[in-house]
Amino acid sequence: MAVKGLDIFKLTPKTNCKECGFPTCMAFSMKAATGGVPIEKCPYISEESKELLSEATAPPMKSIKVGAGDAEATLGGETVLFRHEKTLVNKNLFAIELSDALSDADVDAAFAKLQKVNYDRIGEMMFVEVVAVRFVADAAKFATLVKKVADAGKIPMIITVDAEVAKAAVAGAGAKAIIMGATKDNAAAMVDVAKAADAVLGVSADGIEALHDLVEEIEKLGYKNLVLNVGEASIKEAYANAVDIRTAAIKGNDRTFGYPSVVFANKLAPANTNLQIALASAFVLRYGSIIVMDEMDFNAALPLFGLRQNIFTDPQKPMRVEPKVYEFNKPTGKDPVLVTVDFALSYFVVAGEIERSKVPAYLAIPDAGGYSVLTAWAAGKFGSTVIANFIKENNVADLTTSRKLILPGKVAVLQGDLAELLPEWEVIVGPNEAMQLPKFLRDLQA
Amino acid sequence: MSKFMVIGERIHCISPAIRQAFADRNPEPILLRAKEQLDAGADYLDLNIGPAERGGEELMQWGVKLLQENFDNVPIALDTANMKAIEAGIQVYNRSKGKPIVNSADAGDRIEYVDLAAANDAMVIALCSKEGVPGNNDERIAYCSELLERGMERGMEPTDLLFDPLFIVIKGMQDQLVDVLEAIQMITDMGLLTTGGLSNVSNGAPKHIRPLLDCAVLAMAMQCGFSSAIVNPCDKRLRETIVACDIVKNNILYADSVLEF
Amino acid sequence: MPYKKAEQKFSGKINVCEIGVGDATISIGGENSLPFLGTEGFKTAVGIAISDTTGDWSDCFGTIYGDDLKNPAALAKAAVEKSGADFLLIKLESADPNGADASIESCVATAVAVEAAINVPLVVEGCKNAEKDAKLLEEVAKALEGKNVVLFSAVEDNYKTIGAAGGMAYGQKVSAESAVDINLAKQLNILLTQLGVKSKDIVMDVGTAAAGYGFEYVASTMDRIRLAGLGQNDEALQMPIVTNVSNESWGVKEAVSTLEDAPEWGDQEARGIGMEVTTASACVVGGSNAIIVRHPESAKTIKALVAGIIG
Repeated sequence: MAVKGLDIFKLTPKTNCKECGFPTCMAFSMKAATGGVPIEKCPYISEESKELLSEATAPPMKSIKVGAGDAEATLGGETVLFRHEKTLVNKNLFAIELSDALSDADVDAAFAKLQKVNYDRIGEMMFVEVVAVRFVADAAKFATLVKKVADAGKIPMIITVDAEVAKAAVAGAGAKAIIMGATKDNAAAMVDVAKAADAVLGVSADGIEALHDLVEEIEKLGYKNLVLNVGEASIKEAYANAVDIRTAAIKGNDRTFGYPSVVFANKLAPANTNLQIALASAFVLRYGSIIVMDEMDFNAALPLFGLRQNIFTDPQKPMRVEPKVYEFNKPTGKDPVLVTVDFALSYFVVAGEIERSKVPAYLAIPDAGGYSVLTAWAAGKFGSTVIANFIKENNVADLTTSRKLILPGKVAVLQGDLAELLPEWEVIVGPNEAMQLPKFLRDLQA
Repeated sequence: MSKFMVIGERIHCISPAIRQAFADRNPEPILLRAKEQLDAGADYLDLNIGPAERGGEELMQWGVKLLQENFDNVPIALDTANMKAIEAGIQVYNRSKGKPIVNSADAGDRIEYVDLAAANDAMVIALCSKEGVPGNNDERIAYCSELLERGMERGMEPTDLLFDPLFIVIKGMQDQLVDVLEAIQMITDMGLLTTGGLSNVSNGAPKHIRPLLDCAVLAMAMQCGFSSAIVNPCDKRLRETIVACDIVKNNILYADSVLEF
Repeated sequence: MPYKKAEQKFSGKINVCEIGVGDATISIGGENSLPFLGTEGFKTAVGIAISDTTGDWSDCFGTIYGDDLKNPAALAKAAVEKSGADFLLIKLESADPNGADASIESCVATAVAVEAAINVPLVVEGCKNAEKDAKLLEEVAKALEGKNVVLFSAVEDNYKTIGAAGGMAYGQKVSAESAVDINLAKQLNILLTQLGVKSKDIVMDVGTAAAGYGFEYVASTMDRIRLAGLGQNDEALQMPIVTNVSNESWGVKEAVSTLEDAPEWGDQEARGIGMEVTTASACVVGGSNAIIVRHPESAKTIKALVAGIIG
């Protein structure tokens, strides 16, 4: 947030002494706000005030790095409450929770699932980033499990309120592990552990006021590498806290709450997978930074990772799919070719309808600048030359013996030109809306 | 940004019909003008009861209650040279649709209107002048600072002061209008809100030219951050200009029929 | 410094819209804050969706409903019982001229039978052919006069017929469909209002997408509509939002692919529910005042979510 002239003005002596070279304190303040003159030009603004001012120019929400090496990720750093206002910069992370009370077999099964649910979606790998390990009774086993998490390339979250247990476990956790963490009873000891290990310290308290007080206390102890637990007592409280904490940071200029959040969806809806999915979805939109689930199988991962990918796209840069020829419904080298643009949404809609039709087909996606069909066409990115070149350069004629090339109905105007450029192909105008594709393809096949 | 705020100026004692209605406590003409302005999209109604040296308190209370009872607690700018009347009006004012606006303070004799607004948790229109029209923008900004300090010292939120840079008349002072626009930009850059009596711009110009000048100045002022104005909302061209500028500035959402709503 | 809540105060308020009659009446909307952040008792209603054409539905619904799947009235009753939903949506898909092209009369009869079979408010969805829906929803409005149903939905090409019949002549509620186009959402509300439909009789169907399929547009559209209605006090956007996520959620490959198609993905029913619950929950926090799902388990989950957030 830019500092307004008014904020500077409040710190001036308001005497209009002119020593800064400006006629009034207000005029000076306005100029200073635009960076046109350094604040130091006013001899009467105190050091304390200057510090306040630099605080005021700091971003409202800190960016906190978690994890080491390839697993490193950044949380927070947001400047707006809603993605349309600018963009959301750092996607939330998903976590699952284990404990030292689990049998070795259960632990192995959990790690196997972490390996399995790991796939590419429009150029982004989808997997669980954080593994929380809750301390129950066996400190040695606990530490071993934490180390196993780090060794597996995941970001460990160490859940214990016992500073000694945390200290032992964090030793094998790598840098920037998360210790969950500090409470009003152990704050000083936990800060020491986190500081020594360069760990991110999670802060938990009973209620939002107590959390605020505790964060202030921990900041006074000299540690600002924090994440905040939105609460586990009830869904109501967790949701309200997540929203209130973020709102205080972004709108209320409350730096104490300018930290990422942790949401224990697994504790808010114990043993209820679908409710945990519902909560995770809600917190992807409303300010969860790390969302912890009991487990993450495909039924949760497919929709939740997809949702996250959507919400954290830059509104100025629409998602694009890789330009290439895609195959649907197991084509066998004699099936028709459809064409559309590389705008992810267009691709998905068309792909979904081809799948629904069950008709084997190829889908050619040239580089169309990431625009929708009509926009790309209007911008000259999806013209007959672009399409023809793509078909030739990718040797599409070698992929299939069919010579049917289906254009989106909205660019029917390209049919003539394209037929000239690709004389061996039969250029067919497809439907205007993807919805009509299944019927169209089935009719074509018949 | 929030959308442009229109303060309807047509309940003004300078109009003979309104003056008579105040004298007779006759609701009809006042309600008629109130309704016209609200239908045309006014957000606030200015209630100017004139100097009202005698009986001003009772008259202002009568007017405030009349308007609020008939129009769902419409927010009002209380406009008179009688401070006691403003205070009396605020006593019966219902805040559910917005704070009362005290119209108006300046950096000269009327600086106490700021105190009045502060003491009554009201907004205030603050003229950036001492006597008459300020000579240049240094003066405007100096008066603006003075009024702002006065308000903040007394606990007001800066955004409860609406700074009026004083529009000057094109006919005769044309060369200074860009200064007014610049002043609006400067005040806006400080994070403050602005308002002003726009129609002064075209005073003395022929009737068919006036709307053109008013609209052009309004559009240019809005680009500089101008956030509200005291105008005749029933001026269709002006109202349409405000809507169009609000759309361009992304203050309201566009729809094909936006003007008809 | 002690914590001070940063309140987002708004001057606008979402209209209250009542659906259904008698004891079954529910009201949606009425909030003057973003969802669940005020004290006015914001509560999202949860509806269960059925259709007169269920041939394409996943096998799990055959297991849940058995033969009722082919009988809309029986299906309606079973769906409400199994889901505990606050209201029901019947989609008259068979009317589609590019599909079964069933007659208006038979579709109206279905809607009447469904209404009689349930004790919760009804939403009647057309076949998404603007011309056919105009006639169909007009006749539905007439046949169900006095039942205060929602006609789902009017579009630019048929709002006059549906608005005049539903919103005015037969006293129903009219939904305005804007397909994730915020300017169109406002425009349709203005057009319906100009036609003479009262604001309180209009709801918005702003559209949806399944999670992962361009949902960012849905999220931002809802945020902007709510911020305009509340923050800018834009009366043309203060209608409650009704969102049917069932068609989109059960239409993407994550839900459509069978276990044979995608063995590594596991149980198909769980995937469908996961997609529906994720999409619905995102709409719920985005501002939908009524959310419509297909699977009874989805309905129960969203009810639990709403109850949890309200506390």
